[in-house]
Amino acid sequence: MLGEVVVGLAIGSAYSMLAVAVVLVYSSTRVLSLAAGEIGAFALYAGLHWHEDGLLGWHPTVLEAGLIAVLLGGALGLLVERVVMRPLVGRPPLDGLVATLAVALFLALLELALYGIDPFAAPSPVGDGSFDVFGSTLTAPEITLLLLAAGVAGGLWLFLTRTRFGLATRATTSDPTVARLLGVKVNRVYVFAWGTAGLLAGAAAALLAPIQGSLTPFSLTTALLSALAGAVIGGLDSLGGAIVGSLLVGVVNGVVGSRVDPTTSAGVVFAGVLAVLLLRPQGLLGSTRATA
Amino acid sequence: MRRRELPSRLGLLLALVAALVAPLFLGVAQTSYVTTALTLGIVALGLDVLVGTTGQLSLAHAALYGVGCYAALGVGTRGLVWPLAFLTAVVAGAAVAVVVGLPSLRIRGLQVAIATLAFQVFAQQIPSKWAGVKSVGQPFERPSYLVDETHFYYLTIGCVALVMAVLAALRRTRGGRVLLAVRDVEARAAAFGIATGPAKLFAYGVSGGIAGLGGAVFALQQTGVNDTTPFILRNSLLLIAIVVVGGARSPLGILVAALLVQALPPILGSDFDILGKPAEQVLPATLALLLLVSVVQQPRGIGGVLRDLGAKLTDTGERPSPRPAPTDAVASAARARDLRDVPRPLKHRLPTPSLLVAKAVSVRYGGVQALVDLDLEVRRSEIVGLIGANGAGKSTFFNAVSGLAPTTGSIRYRDSELLALPAASRSARGVARTFQDMGLVRSDTVRENVLLAQTWIAAYPAVAGLLALGGSVGTERELRRRADEALELFGLTHLAEERLGDLPYGTMRIVEIAAAVASGPDLLLLDEASAGLTPDEAHALGDRFQALRDELGLTLVVIEHHVPLIARTCDYCYCLESGALIAQGTPAEVVAQPRVVESFLGRGTLEEVPA
Repeated sequence: MLGEVVVGLAIGSAYSMLAVAVVLVYSSTRVLSLAAGEIGAFALYAGLHWHEDGLLGWHPTVLEAGLIAVLLGGALGLLVERVVMRPLVGRPPLDGLVATLAVALFLALLELALYGIDPFAAPSPVGDGSFDVFGSTLTAPEITLLLLAAGVAGGLWLFLTRTRFGLATRATTSDPTVARLLGVKVNRVYVFAWGTAGLLAGAAAALLAPIQGSLTPFSLTTALLSALAGAVIGGLDSLGGAIVGSLLVGVVNGVVGSRVDPTTSAGVVFAGVLAVLLLRPQGLLGSTRATA
Repeated sequence: MRRRELPSRLGLLLALVAALVAPLFLGVAQTSYVTTALTLGIVALGLDVLVGTTGQLSLAHAALYGVGCYAALGVGTRGLVWPLAFLTAVVAGAAVAVVVGLPSLRIRGLQVAIATLAFQVFAQQIPSKWAGVKSVGQPFERPSYLVDETHFYYLTIGCVALVMAVLAALRRTRGGRVLLAVRDVEARAAAFGIATGPAKLFAYGVSGGIAGLGGAVFALQQTGVNDTTPFILRNSLLLIAIVVVGGARSPLGILVAALLVQALPPILGSDFDILGKPAEQVLPATLALLLLVSVVQQPRGIGGVLRDLGAKLTDTGERPSPRPAPTDAVASAARARDLRDVPRPLKHRLPTPSLLVAKAVSVRYGGVQALVDLDLEVRRSEIVGLIGANGAGKSTFFNAVSGLAPTTGSIRYRDSELLALPAASRSARGVARTFQDMGLVRSDTVRENVLLAQTWIAAYPAVAGLLALGGSVGTERELRRRADEALELFGLTHLAEERLGDLPYGTMRIVEIAAAVASGPDLLLLDEASAGLTPDEAHALGDRFQALRDELGLTLVVIEHHVPLIARTCDYCYCLESGALIAQGTPAEVVAQPRVVESFLGRGTLEEVPA
C-alpha cells in the first residue's frame, strides 16, 4: 500500500508538472489549454528521432534528447502563444479551449504523418536503475519526477514571490485589466506562461513516456487529462491546489488502479471532478474568480 | 419565395441529388468510406445543436455515439426488429446526454465542458472493462434485407435527411428559438417566459438523441464491435473539429467537413503522395491545420463559404429599406410635427382600478442597495413615466417586476403577488418588457424574434415541435399570424426576414417593442424605448404609445430620458434618485420640482433640456 502510494506520487508528480503548465496558462489568459500534452509529446518525438537518426552531424544521447525535448517544448509553447493564442485574446473562453484542442489535434496528426502510428520506443533519459520502496519498485524516471516536480514547485514559488516579474505575473493572474493599467506588460506574462508551460510539458513527456513504455500520438494527452482532473480538483487558478490535486489523482490511480482496476480509478477521479465542479466550482484551493 | 431561403434550398436540392447518384460513380470501398463519414457527420450534426445553437461545448459526443451503438446492438442482436433498435438508441443517447448535461444547471461555460470531458474519459473505459457491455458487441447476423454497401449508404443518407429535417423543425419551432435565446440572452430569457434549465436539458437531449441515432447507424454497419476507438476522446475532439471547420449552425457545411475529414483520406488512400508520404497519412494533419486557421481567423467555416456562394448565385440586387415603413401612426405624426412644441393638456391620474401596486420594494446586490422601499402604483390604461438619472434604479425596478433581480417587499399585479411567482411564469400573466440594451437575438431574423417573445403562448412541448405533433403546427401557424400582425402594426413587415443584427439600432428597438406587443401583454414595460431614435422618430414613438393604449388597451410604464416625450405622453410620472422615490405626480408637476431638476441637471430647469 505505502509503496503504491509512493509510485502514485511519482506519476502524480508528472501530472503536477502538466497541471502547473495548465494553471499558468489558465490563470494568466483564462484559457483552458488542452495542448500541453501534445506539445510535450511532439517535442519528445523530435528529440528521440534526433537521438536515433542524428542531425547536423550530432547524435545526442538519450539524456540530451530529453533536454532537447524540454527546450523544444518551450519553443513550441512560445510559437503557439504567438501564432494561435495572441489573436484570440478577448474572445470567449470556449474559443480558446477549441483553439488549444485544435493545436493538440494538429500536433498529434502531425506526429502521425511524420512518424507513423506504431508506438515509438521511449528509452529513459536517466538510466534504468531502480530500487524498492515499501515493496514497490521505483524506477529512475519516477525518482527523477519526484525530485524535479518538487524543484519546479519550489522554484516557481520563489520566482513568483521574490522577483519583480513574478509580482507582475501574480498581478496579471488576479486581474489582467488592472495589471495593464498599472503598467504591467501583460503580453510578456502570457509569453512567460506559455513558454514555461512548454518547458514543463517537454520535461513531463521525457520522463513519463519511458514509464508508459512508449510514445504514441495522444498518449500524453491522456496523461494531461489526469493532470487536468487534478487541476480542477485543486483549483484551476491555484498552483498549490493544482499540485496537490494532481498528486491526489496520481495516488488514486496508483492505489485503486493497481488494487482494483484502472476503470474504477477513472470512475473515482470522474466522481471527484464532478463533485468539486458542482459543490465547489473554484476547486479545493482556488479563488472564486476562477469561476468567472 | 423568401430572399434568404432561396440559396439554402437550392444548395439542399443539389446536395440531395448528388447524394442519391453518388454510389453510381463510387466503387464499393469508396461508398463504404462515404457511409462511415456521413455516420460521423450525423453525430457532428447532433453536437452542433449544443455548440452552434446553445453555445455549449460537449467533449462527450464520442461517448454518446457509443451509447447509441451499444443500445442498438443490445436490442438489434436479440432478435428484435432494427427499427426498434434505432428508437432505443435515440432514447438512450438522449437520456444519457440529459444526465451529462445536468451540471449545466449549476455551472456554465468552461466548467460544463470539463464535466463532459470527465464523463467521456470515464465512459470510454466501460466497453473494454465491463463484460456485460462487451458481450453486446459480439458478432451478429445483419438483417436479410441489408447486405450490400449501397443499402447501408442509402440507409445512412435517409438518417442524415431525417436529422436535417429535425434540425429544420428545431429552427422553426419553439425549441430552437428558446435555445438561441438561452445562448445569447440567457439572463433575460425568463422575460419571454423561458425556463432556461429545462431548455438546456432539452438541447442536450436532442443533441444526444441525434448522436445516438448515429451510433445505431454505425452498429448496423458493423457485424460486431470489437474496436471501440470510434467512441474515445480522440473522436470527440474530431467531432468538434468537424463542427468548427464545417461552420456552426450549418448542416451542409458540417456534412462536407465530415466527408473531408473522414472519407477523403482513405479514398485518396495510398494512391497519392504528398511530400513523399501517403496521402492517407498526411491529409489529416493538413485538415487539422485548416481547423487551426478556422479557429484563429474566425471565418464561418465551409457552411459560410457555401452560403456566400449561394447568395451570390441568386442575388437579385434588391435590398429592403432597413427602416420601418411609415404606417398611419408615423404619417400622422409627421403631419403633426409642426404642432410639436404646443404642449398637450396633461391628463390627471386616471380613475381606473390599479393594475400594478408595488409596496416597499427593495433590491440589494451584495453591498449595493439598488432600490430602497419603493412604493409605486400603475392604474389600468395609464401611461406611467419613470425618470431619473443613470443608476437611479429605474431598470432595477423593471427587473424586480420581471423577476430578474433579488427583490423584497410586495409587487401585486391584478390579484396575484408577482414576487411569489417564478420569473418565467410572469410573462404568462400579461407582463411584457423591453431591455435598455436589447434582449433579443441579433443573429436571428426579425420574425423569429417576434415569435420568441411569444414563447409562453407556445405551450406545446418542444419535442412535439420537432416531430410536428400535438397541435404544434396549428399553434405555430397562429403565432406566425400574431407575429405578422404585430410587425404590420409597427410597419416592419418588409423586414420580417432580415437578420435583426443587420438593422439600424433604432429599428431594432422598434422590433423589440413589436415583439413585446406580440406576446399579448396587458402591462408593457419599455426601457428607454426612444434611445437611438432621431427626434422625429421619438416623436412618432410617443404617438405609438398612445395608439397602444387607445387601440390595444395596453397599460404602459416607460423609462425615458427624453423629457419632452414624457411630458407629451405620460399620465403620471415617478422620479427616482439613488434607488429611492423623490417625486411623483403629473409630468408637469414632477419636472417643476427643484429636487427633480437638481437630480437631473445639478442646476437650471428642465425646459432647457434640448429635445
